[in-house]
Amino acid sequence: MSEFERDMSKYAELIVKIGANVQKGQEVYISSQIEGAPLARLVVEHAYKAGASNVVVDWADDTLTRLKYDHASPDVFSKFPEWEKMRRNGVVEREGCFIFLNSSNPDLLSGVDPKKIGDSQKAAGEALVVYRQATAADKIAWTIAASATKAWAAKVFPGESAELSVRKLWQAIFDAVRLHAEDPVDNWRRHDADLHARAAWLNEKRFSKLHYRAPGTDLTIGLPKRHLWMTAGGTRPDGIGFMKNMPTEEVFTVPHRDGANGYVSSSKPLNYGGALIDRFKLTFENGRIVGVEAEEGEAMLKQIVETDEGSHYLGEVALVPHRSPISNSNILFYNTLFDENASNHLAIGLGFPFTIEGGKTMSPEELKAEGVNSSLTHVDFMIGTADMDIDGIMEDGTVVPVFRGGNWAY
Amino acid sequence: MERFERQLSRYAELIVKVGVNVQQGQDVFVASQIETAPLTRLVAAEAYKAGAANVYVDWADDTVSRLKYDYADPEVFRNFPAWETLKRNSFVERGACFISFVSSGPDVMKDVDPQRIGDYQKAAGAGLADYRRAVQSDKIAWTVAAAASEAWAQKVFPGDPADIAVEKLWLAIFDAVRLHADDPVAAWQAHDRALHDKVDWLNGLRLRKLHYKAAGTDLTVELPDRHVWVGASSRTPGGIPFMANMPTEEVFTAPRRDGVNGYVTSTKPLSYAGNLIDRFKLTFEQGRIVGVEAEEGEDILKRLVDTDEGSHYLGEMALVPHRSPISESNILFYNTLFDENASNHFAIGSGYAFNVEGGKTMSQEELAASGVNTSITHVDFMVGSAEMDIDGILEDGTIVPVFRHGNWA
Repeated sequence: MSEFERDMSKYAELIVKIGANVQKGQEVYISSQIEGAPLARLVVEHAYKAGASNVVVDWADDTLTRLKYDHASPDVFSKFPEWEKMRRNGVVEREGCFIFLNSSNPDLLSGVDPKKIGDSQKAAGEALVVYRQATAADKIAWTIAASATKAWAAKVFPGESAELSVRKLWQAIFDAVRLHAEDPVDNWRRHDADLHARAAWLNEKRFSKLHYRAPGTDLTIGLPKRHLWMTAGGTRPDGIGFMKNMPTEEVFTVPHRDGANGYVSSSKPLNYGGALIDRFKLTFENGRIVGVEAEEGEAMLKQIVETDEGSHYLGEVALVPHRSPISNSNILFYNTLFDENASNHLAIGLGFPFTIEGGKTMSPEELKAEGVNSSLTHVDFMIGTADMDIDGIMEDGTVVPVFRGGNWAY
Repeated sequence: MERFERQLSRYAELIVKVGVNVQQGQDVFVASQIETAPLTRLVAAEAYKAGAANVYVDWADDTVSRLKYDYADPEVFRNFPAWETLKRNSFVERGACFISFVSSGPDVMKDVDPQRIGDYQKAAGAGLADYRRAVQSDKIAWTVAAAASEAWAQKVFPGDPADIAVEKLWLAIFDAVRLHADDPVAAWQAHDRALHDKVDWLNGLRLRKLHYKAAGTDLTVELPDRHVWVGASSRTPGGIPFMANMPTEEVFTAPRRDGVNGYVTSTKPLSYAGNLIDRFKLTFEQGRIVGVEAEEGEDILKRLVDTDEGSHYLGEMALVPHRSPISESNILFYNTLFDENASNHFAIGSGYAFNVEGGKTMSQEELAASGVNTSITHVDFMVGSAEMDIDGILEDGTIVPVFRHGNWA
């Protein structure tokens, strides 16, 4: 076995043990590009070794996806197949886990009619409500990890041969997920503990607002009274832990739906369903997005904001130091999973129930009353820079430095 | 474009136009291994060009399937997922056409617990019963075609390195589907007419039974009164022609369920559910299989026969001259799609509704009354050889030579 093959197998093991934390007798659902088969097959193998009762791989192929967007009948996009809903819900009901091997090609859907993309996202959002609620409330274990493909690698390392760029992207992924630590599984447990300590400090402070300042950004975000700072480490109702994102560097909570005022500028491109949106600015009044400007992909961005009522508001606020393994690599990944973990970010749309005390068992109405936004969509976008300062403002007006010069202030 | 890519693209076009004959606004369901994605992508592109509303590819991967057979919970093989049934049926209901690519290695499931294979075949047979009925009564357009994989190619060309073997197998597939004709679509139309001439001759004879004689074989097969020989292209209820198999060299009909007597010996290995069964002999009494012997894979063969009641009887008898393009290639494909078109064969299990007059609109009970077997399975096996003689016997006892020394008499 070559070193690369060994790394790939260690990575698959990490995804199974730390990511989804597959349990004996559990069903495992994996989604993967067919190009990512070598990793997917290893994940299948490790999942069975961990005692999985059944592993189902949902294969996709970007070439076919693009053919479909270009040539399929327009009404195909507004329908989500009943059988697909049944498959997802079945895994949820049987308390299986989900492993998403993500290898998005950032330009896959460039030039595609944004309406088709919007219709498709909306149809999936509506059809997969049960599944979405289960993942949002930590009822089931799930994880998103990356798998390198030629198209993605070519975007990240332009100018290199296909073979070399794919190899470089794999190395970057392995570095970002701390695969080269002596005991990667144990190392992840410690990393998880570090992030938990940050979250605990923030939870103790009970900030009522955060104030963001950077060139192009002057934004105040109100936080709900009972907000909870979280990490990507999740816990099922029965106490089984899992890691929703690999890599992860963020601590995050939910903003108060009506509490955002001011403006914020993006600091990295946003890849949405294969379309690229770049250099954009959003303006907020009492939480609502009242201004949308983008130098690239403005129509797509407006489409996202118009998805439903909730997509006019924020659902997540996340803190990530500018100094982190991903950030230090100085690689722009064109992929939210990585770029969000190299940068402070916000999300348009759905707020996660688990980011509020008692939220996992609240009804949609109760969540709304607490200030948690609801929407069919949830889209992260990056705003962090090396010169960003963030103040935490307490109930009594006390100002506590949270970030200085892009990094934790304490 | 490279020569190979050009040929692959022509092949994709043939599958879309002659195979399923994709219609404007139609959904297309494609079953493919991920390894053969280059062909499948071309087929999808051709299907959209032909006006498909949506092309859905049902990907599979033998490596993942094998891991499942080796490690999954035994329960998994007994339960066919309801969503899979719903998926298949929803495409049938929308009048989709179905393209299935065969590409697996013939023994990818070697040494897997036969119980698991038997359980899964049974569960899938029941779960996909509606789909199977739609296929077997020509309610929908469907085609089975081949795509070369490494595992398959290495079995067919064992002495060659993997890439050479795959290339050779592609060329053999292209030859078998007449891709090298100047106008492959026209060549298929001519081939279709030639097979239909044989069909017309056999249907004109109104044979009562066929008597097969060869080394290891002495078998009499009665035909239903209203049997219909068919071959090459079929038609959907809407009159759309399609080619259910590519390649195809056979003309076939349904034997009378209880009219088979004697014994028959296989002449080619049979790859069933990823296992090889070879050198086997079946004995029949009044249609029912009463004896099963195999030098290789006997356990798997017995499980196949025990799938359900109908799998103890024959559902199809097919005539293929020993002299045919596939046969003359002298390649043993270890694959039913090819081997069945190089050899006389039978199928264990369900018969096709269209093999009796009016059968397409008959209920299951009516089909059984007219002598057609029903089962959740249908598996072809080869019996033809260079020395096989087949006599046709008319109602009045007159003997008509149908095959002599392996070829049309």
